[in-house]
Amino acid sequence: MADEKKAEGHCNEGNEACEANERIQEHLKFSKIKVKPPKLTGEINIPDLNPNSMFEVKPQLLTAKEMLAHLGYPTDGLIPNWKEVFLRKMDEMLKKYRSVRLYMDICVKCGACVDKCHYYLGTGDPLNMPVARQELMRKVYRRYFTLPGKLFGSRFVNGSDLSEELLVMWYTYFYQCSECRRCSVFCPYGIDTAEITMAAREILNSVGIVQKYLHEIIFKAQTIGNNLGMQQNAIINALEFVQDELQEETGLDIKVPIDVEGADVLFVTPSADFFASPHIESLYGYAKVFHQAGISWTMSTHASEGGNFGMFVHNYEHMKKINKRIWEAARDLKVKRVVGGECGHMWRVLSSFSNTMWGPFDYLDQNYKRPQHICEVTLDLLNRGALKIDKSANEEFIVTMHDSCQVARGMELGGVPNGQFDIPRDVIRGVCDKFVDMPAETIRERTFCCGAGQGLLGDDMMATRVKGAMPRMQAYHYAKRESGVNFVALICAICKAQLSKMFPEYGIAMEEVGGIHQLVGRAIVLGAKEGV
Amino acid sequence: MNGIINGIKFMVDMYVSGIVYTACLVFVAGFLWKMYFVYYKTPQPLKIPQTPQPTTLPGVIMRMAGDVLFFRSLSKGTTLLFIAGWVFHFTFFLMLIRHLRYFVYPIPNWINGLGNSALVIATLLMAALIILVARRYLDKKVSYVTSFADYFALLLIMGIVQSGIMMHYERFRPDIVEIKAFMFELMEFKTPFLVMIMHPHHAPGNPLFITHLSLVALLLIYFPFSKLMHSGGYFFSPTRNMINNAREVRYINPWDKG
Repeated sequence: MADEKKAEGHCNEGNEACEANERIQEHLKFSKIKVKPPKLTGEINIPDLNPNSMFEVKPQLLTAKEMLAHLGYPTDGLIPNWKEVFLRKMDEMLKKYRSVRLYMDICVKCGACVDKCHYYLGTGDPLNMPVARQELMRKVYRRYFTLPGKLFGSRFVNGSDLSEELLVMWYTYFYQCSECRRCSVFCPYGIDTAEITMAAREILNSVGIVQKYLHEIIFKAQTIGNNLGMQQNAIINALEFVQDELQEETGLDIKVPIDVEGADVLFVTPSADFFASPHIESLYGYAKVFHQAGISWTMSTHASEGGNFGMFVHNYEHMKKINKRIWEAARDLKVKRVVGGECGHMWRVLSSFSNTMWGPFDYLDQNYKRPQHICEVTLDLLNRGALKIDKSANEEFIVTMHDSCQVARGMELGGVPNGQFDIPRDVIRGVCDKFVDMPAETIRERTFCCGAGQGLLGDDMMATRVKGAMPRMQAYHYAKRESGVNFVALICAICKAQLSKMFPEYGIAMEEVGGIHQLVGRAIVLGAKEGV
Repeated sequence: MNGIINGIKFMVDMYVSGIVYTACLVFVAGFLWKMYFVYYKTPQPLKIPQTPQPTTLPGVIMRMAGDVLFFRSLSKGTTLLFIAGWVFHFTFFLMLIRHLRYFVYPIPNWINGLGNSALVIATLLMAALIILVARRYLDKKVSYVTSFADYFALLLIMGIVQSGIMMHYERFRPDIVEIKAFMFELMEFKTPFLVMIMHPHHAPGNPLFITHLSLVALLLIYFPFSKLMHSGGYFFSPTRNMINNAREVRYINPWDKG
């Protein structure tokens, strides 16, 4: 038969759909690109335009049919009727998300965002300017979803007809956006490129162009329960190991409880905290805080993941399904409250979205009817004098803090404006004597992404990771040079993974990266309490 | 000969009345349609406020007021764009107010007061426009993302401002009393129906005035289908108009009410 694929994967002559798929696969093929990090000067310079400099960078495609089928995406690459499906999906996005619809419509291209993206600053590729990235979708919008475009065609409205080239551009540049929302801070209308990137990724998914790292993790989180794909016994082993380490180190009976019914607190955290370095140091810190404060807590093998990669694409069902495990575990274990560990996007989903998806949480203690952040808990304990702290344990550190994008530019913490900046800093100041901030234009609401957020942390994305980390690295270098800073405290698992890899890359010791609760854990004086 | 002149006059009258009504109709209908059916009716599934978003409604209103009146978000980035952009919008707004004197009677004193500095305001407006156009052209990054439509909007407004400024001078000055009388005729309820049956009122014949009015009509017609909708669209921007209290108050997703 003419439209059947041959065994070697080559197409029969005249099979246009199959040939299109082959061309796309060829264009999107991953190839290893080595990039050298720029020199550290402490300054973040705005580069000149360097067109197509990042065009070669393509993340790997997901090809495992079982995973694709589970996620509801086409299993054989680009589908034959892709144009039709593409437009149908885009229409759905425009109808379901006011953010996307509005932001397609109202951008005036004023240019306020052009030099705000860390990927543009690191690469100079014009398509990494947020407005240019959005234009990739806006061109299609103008052509197919506005009246002048429908009537007079793409040239009249400066639009794009659907083409394979367009797919390649979308896949390339919508996977060079870490959805960190920095550009949106400076936008006079608050246009959020993250919303557009999320929609674009889901549209690509619907026609069969699915990025591997991100969607593999969504699959694992939905089917196994955590991003790393650890089975229950592996989790129990890992946490028992943590408990043994703690007990050995302190000589005290510190517990890392798992699946304890009736505990007060269900603690959820990224599964990387179970053994990755430096993540695990924070886990020691959490356990010490709970132990010393006398809070009964538990982790869950069912909700063994705090992170929720479903947020990174506009596929509500993915996110909802992953989030469900946490609330199932909270009900099953009959806990009174839910506390989240150090993770950026996890916290955004937990605090901003989970109430919408699975609330109201009337089965929790009504004093804590909302998820809490571990920094809120720890700061409260510190303020009440419930933890005895010996700051000299952190004497060797001059600490700075990298605000994680999803925490910094999203939700409140502590119910007060700017709590997401002040609460973590207050925790750090509570356990360290020396704290210095990095330059003002690189922290708080203007913080730079670590360079690997929202699905770009795969090893296949080394080029964007190294270049995208540039602004943060320069800011850190500046603080190091001017104030002798030698430790950056983080509240995000992705930041930890990315920066502990990037620091050596840029010639700085990996040990200078760690979590806030790593510092807390070091400073807590364990043992008898002196009254709460 | 008289017949030809009368014919031309009739055509001018029809044209002027016609574009005014068409433009107003397209503008009002298009603007409301966009605001209601496109922006308001499209659901927003999740809370996505953007720092520094306040946790209370009055706070959010204050923040949005800061954005609308003083371009607070824009001021965090490029200074030149912020100043030129703000001066452009503010002086444009003042000119709109000043033009009210053609539509109200008696004219309140505060509008008349603006008249004294009208030329200064218009010059500032023009200067801001020139900076905006030059910046679009000269800044390589902005120039990369600029398309014809972006120049078109600016040049169109420049045309309006320029024809307006020129009318200030004796040589080109139209009969203002005649214009005002014509405007009041246009605002009468029966006039559009008279235009429909081809009985327009007599329009002022000053070519510069007709040019000015035509460009304004073009702007109004272009408005609802263009990026100029940022004016009304801003108020629906979820990163700006949502209260940052997702944990306190459960937000309901309109298409997943749970």
